[in-house]
Amino acid sequence: MARVQIESEVTGNVWKVEVAAGDAVQEGDVLIILESMKMEIPVEAPEAGKVAELLVAPEDSVEEDQVVAVIETA
Amino acid sequence: MSWEPEVKEIERRRKLAQVQGGKDGIARQHASGRLTIRERIEALVDEGSFQEQGLATAIPDYDDDDNLTGYVPANYVVGFGRIDGRRVVVGGEDFTLKGGSPNAAGLRKSVYAEHMAVQFKVPLVRCLEGGGGSVKGGGGRKGGTVGEPVFSAPRFRIIADAMGQVPVVSTAGGAVAGFPAGRMVAAHFAVMARQTAQVMIGGPKLVERALGVSLTKDELGGAHIHCKSGIVDNIAEDEHDAFRQTRQFLSYLPTNVHQRAPRIDCADDPERMEEELLTAIPRDSNAPFDVREIVRMVMDEDSVFEMGREYGPSQMAALARLNGQPVGVLANDCRHYAGAMTAEAGQKYRRFVEMCDTFHVPIVNFVDQPGFMIGPEAERNGTIRYGMAAVCAAAQATVPWASIQIHKGFGVATAAHYGPNAYVLAWPSVESGALPLEGGVAVAFHREIAAAENPDEKRREIEEQLRQARSPFPRAESFAVHELIDPRETRPMLCRWVDWIQPQLEELTGPTTFMMRP
Repeated sequence: MARVQIESEVTGNVWKVEVAAGDAVQEGDVLIILESMKMEIPVEAPEAGKVAELLVAPEDSVEEDQVVAVIETA
Repeated sequence: MSWEPEVKEIERRRKLAQVQGGKDGIARQHASGRLTIRERIEALVDEGSFQEQGLATAIPDYDDDDNLTGYVPANYVVGFGRIDGRRVVVGGEDFTLKGGSPNAAGLRKSVYAEHMAVQFKVPLVRCLEGGGGSVKGGGGRKGGTVGEPVFSAPRFRIIADAMGQVPVVSTAGGAVAGFPAGRMVAAHFAVMARQTAQVMIGGPKLVERALGVSLTKDELGGAHIHCKSGIVDNIAEDEHDAFRQTRQFLSYLPTNVHQRAPRIDCADDPERMEEELLTAIPRDSNAPFDVREIVRMVMDEDSVFEMGREYGPSQMAALARLNGQPVGVLANDCRHYAGAMTAEAGQKYRRFVEMCDTFHVPIVNFVDQPGFMIGPEAERNGTIRYGMAAVCAAAQATVPWASIQIHKGFGVATAAHYGPNAYVLAWPSVESGALPLEGGVAVAFHREIAAAENPDEKRREIEEQLRQARSPFPRAESFAVHELIDPRETRPMLCRWVDWIQPQLEELTGPTTFMMRP
């Protein structure tokens, strides 16, 4: 079991959170959608696992490289 | 009386000069997963093509009777080789001797490598690993001379000159610090091996002494640092991958600025129309898409070679081919700040355009530019200066240029995407103007909006009116673009353009000069 920290690649705002803590996710699943420079930027699961922590909520602002979620991989 | 004794001695000394740092030095190199300089050269060039220069360079030691008692090889190896049959100069430090820090003959050969490439007008590939000068080396001995004579030419002039004459590639297989780090970046393409290489101005000991911070080589200058610092273009999985990337990079460029980039036979149909291009851009203009897929579908199959993906990631830069003709590809990646031009993207952009200009490689630009990046961080980073330098590089470009308006084109930054006399195609998904409607309307019509009974509704109404006026058809009717096209036609149209520009490319050779830019 490994904990994988997921970072935002951009500065922007959280628009939608698509998963809840405890959800099982597959590689490439969209966890969060950010809004930056009027574009919707999906934050995807880098590998399959379970959502351990969601560190942001809608309308939060996020910085580049900020950890926005943690998933536990099998 | 024959000269056979001397000839035997020549043979013996050549053999001694090949031993590098001896069995132990070579074993240490291998133990840490790195190749020796001779193995690097062998892995890079066509088999059996290496022709070494200075076969017997060394630091000899003699006893009182003039018998040779020691023979330390020059720790820089240089010579000609061939890559895909084309001649190159290749050289690099021998790290198994003095950690690559130059001994006297080694230093001369390292400087000669640059001169060789310029003199013989062939590409230069540096296989770097070394720490540069050492306080132990150099002059200062009793009775000797110190420093360079006052009349000597600037030592680094040849490094600067080479970049305007021949393709220069730097590879790092191990730690590269000091002067070699300077050589690393004085290149058109720099690539480092992910696990074994680091690039630093000063290594951990210097940094600890000067700044009191204790960091490892990797923390200072590992691949994870430099993929984002932009001082290397690409990260290779290992040294062999670095050499594979070097060969591929050189395949797009001419042997020197006086020759043309080699056009090859193309197996991919120039009339190929990819169905998926019709749906590549979402109708919702805020939804992101993968511009690399678009580039891949338009260019010759498997011909796209991207450079510097993680540096200034809102801007993609790659070499590729269209109907066998090498081209430089620029495209905005809307998944990073909507493709906006950041300070880093601006620097990456200008440098890439200057490289294409230097080697007369035509540019194909997929335009999705929302403008210069804005906000406090962008202002602190000096974005507007680097952005304007990019605009100026494009405005003064001398190579044939094709631009495909695929999505957005807003603000001054958009001017960076058109060279003089550009061939301009537009997709139906294009939107352009001084400012994007969102934001732009709020600024331009703020009085009208504020005076309205329902300001939000008024703003949306104006936005909608303007959106309709932004139909792509008038620009084709007014000949503001050459053609408004079905996205599937992009490859056939560009391949025809490649044929049209051949007479221009024939005349477009020789050195390029740039004026000062912002």
